[in-house]
Amino acid sequence: MKLTVQVDERVTRLDVVRQGGGCRFRFDGGAEQDATLEEVEPGVYSILLNGRSYEAKIEPGADRLFVAVGGRRFAVQVRDPRAWDPGLKSRCSEGRESISTPMPGKVVRVLVSEGDSVQAGQGIIVVEAMKMQNEMKAPKAGRVVSVDVRPGDTVAAGQVLASVE
Amino acid sequence: MFRKVLIANRGEIAVRVIRALREMGIPAVAVYSDADRAALHVRMAAEAVRLGPPPSAESYLRGDRILEAARISGAEAIHPGYGFLSENAEFAAACEAAGIAFVGPPAAAIRNMGSKTRARRLAIEAGVPVVPGAEHALRTIEEARSLAAAFGYPVLLKASAGGGGKGMRRVDRQEDLEAGLREAASEAERSFADPEIYMEKLLARPRHVEIQIAGDRYGNMVHLGERECSIQRRHQKVMEECPSPLVSADPDLRRRMGEAAVRIARHAGYANAGTVEFLVDEDLQFYFLEMNTRLQVEHPITELVTGVDLVKLQFELAAGRRLPFRQQDITWRGAALECRIYAEDPDNNFFPSPGLITRLERPAGPGVRLDSGVYQGWTVPLDYDPLLAKLAVHAVNREEAVARMVRALDEYYVGGIKTNLSFFRQILEDREFRCGRLHTGLIDEFFARRERTPPPPAPELEAVAALAAAVYTGSGRNHQPLSSAPPSRWRAAGRTEMLR
Repeated sequence: MKLTVQVDERVTRLDVVRQGGGCRFRFDGGAEQDATLEEVEPGVYSILLNGRSYEAKIEPGADRLFVAVGGRRFAVQVRDPRAWDPGLKSRCSEGRESISTPMPGKVVRVLVSEGDSVQAGQGIIVVEAMKMQNEMKAPKAGRVVSVDVRPGDTVAAGQVLASVE
Repeated sequence: MFRKVLIANRGEIAVRVIRALREMGIPAVAVYSDADRAALHVRMAAEAVRLGPPPSAESYLRGDRILEAARISGAEAIHPGYGFLSENAEFAAACEAAGIAFVGPPAAAIRNMGSKTRARRLAIEAGVPVVPGAEHALRTIEEARSLAAAFGYPVLLKASAGGGGKGMRRVDRQEDLEAGLREAASEAERSFADPEIYMEKLLARPRHVEIQIAGDRYGNMVHLGERECSIQRRHQKVMEECPSPLVSADPDLRRRMGEAAVRIARHAGYANAGTVEFLVDEDLQFYFLEMNTRLQVEHPITELVTGVDLVKLQFELAAGRRLPFRQQDITWRGAALECRIYAEDPDNNFFPSPGLITRLERPAGPGVRLDSGVYQGWTVPLDYDPLLAKLAVHAVNREEAVARMVRALDEYYVGGIKTNLSFFRQILEDREFRCGRLHTGLIDEFFARRERTPPPPAPELEAVAALAAAVYTGSGRNHQPLSSAPPSRWRAAGRTEMLR
């Protein structure tokens, strides 16, 4: 099976054929390799490759899988290239990007106004949750096109707070 | 001994206390808020009583409801754990008045140590050095200015009723003093309903070293040595160790600090277990900071090196027994380290990360102790402190304890929420930490000097990750939409077939 995979930022190819308890695969244009693969627990794979023992743990995310292996954590998207897929384009930094909060909380301060120019990583809005304050930062340099909350507002996880273009 | 005990707490400390009670053959009564109905401490207790809705003010801080729960369950004693009502003198007094033993010091001793300014006066009377500072709460900005000028900047503003870094402000220049005072007072008002602020000189690169003490009500009191808690973030401890690396530099330091701690505790009329906190400067001079009139979060490392079960000891002392050992009976063996595992995101300014724990793998093996309050499938509520567990290790010396902690952290896996596990791996590799050159600013300096190098390429790991993800996706159990199109069972079935 020929697949397109995105591992963190990199989009590449994975060809894989399962054979019994093992599989033969080619990754990222490399040589053909054989691995054995056992699902030892739901979502946990023991993989033996070139004599080395790996344990890969899968955590499903919103639009990708997180794979923890060898002390690292990769964000992986798997695509069948025959399926048309608008989401696979690597994230471009053109256009409008919104700033949202990862968890529910309360807006403490708004540090910018609509129309302000901001640098990537500049603090935009401070949200307090679980008695801790966290600065939500601009994902890119640009101009603030909207500020959607005010100090004192209660916000839900994932709610858009502001947008930068 | 008590025939039944209620634990007025939640999370890992409630579980810790239940474990001690089980070993003593005493039934444990848990209390819980609506957010904690399925919490581990409720599952492990013999009985459980509901307190109220999730907010602490309507549940774990409701002393009246907790006393009522003790009455209906027939508990003879209440263990307050740490936080919540553990240092509330009124609650301790209410327990005593209700004929229920409060597992902690007498209410009067809590009152003596509850105000930082009062505690400082007691320490001075006991002949123990204190950090140069105001003898009473600040009344005016003019007074604050002249005191700060006398001590020299930087100074530290602190809430008199404070703890846990709340209401604390560092002020480096006179022009920032007024704003700092205002902010500290408003934070103190919000956190402790008491805006009283006092001032201390800020020591350069201080170390935080505390002494565990224990005493009975017949005047016997000992110390159980020190814990170094210099690894802090925002004035909150994240990693502790015993012995302090300073004790190997100056073996007499433990005795001198221990004796000073016992003097203060005696002077305050203390009984049961408690902790006297000190700052130690670069010349190994120590200064009294405050006393915590309860069991400390980091008590396991003292238990590991001394072999004393502090929670069982607390119950024995609260039941009126005599201290079962003398000072010369206390010995310290090996080295212990503890990491506080929080539900927070180290890559996003340690922002809290509550939620569902989808996977939990616990470290085990030689010398590993895990005090955990969570389980796989439990949703960490956002209403409380995000401490999930304390991971402690014990080994023959500091070097081996560090290696053991690194190994244990590698075995530890928490899925579904972010934790600070990866942060501990980094700090344990830090050169300054390895050398034992600790101070309370170490984490900030670590972040400043750390080079944000991208992780080295690992093509084989990437291949393994891609392979595992492909097989998982092909298994059709990934219900997350992979594209904007709705998931197709036909396509999933087709993938499974092709991967056969």
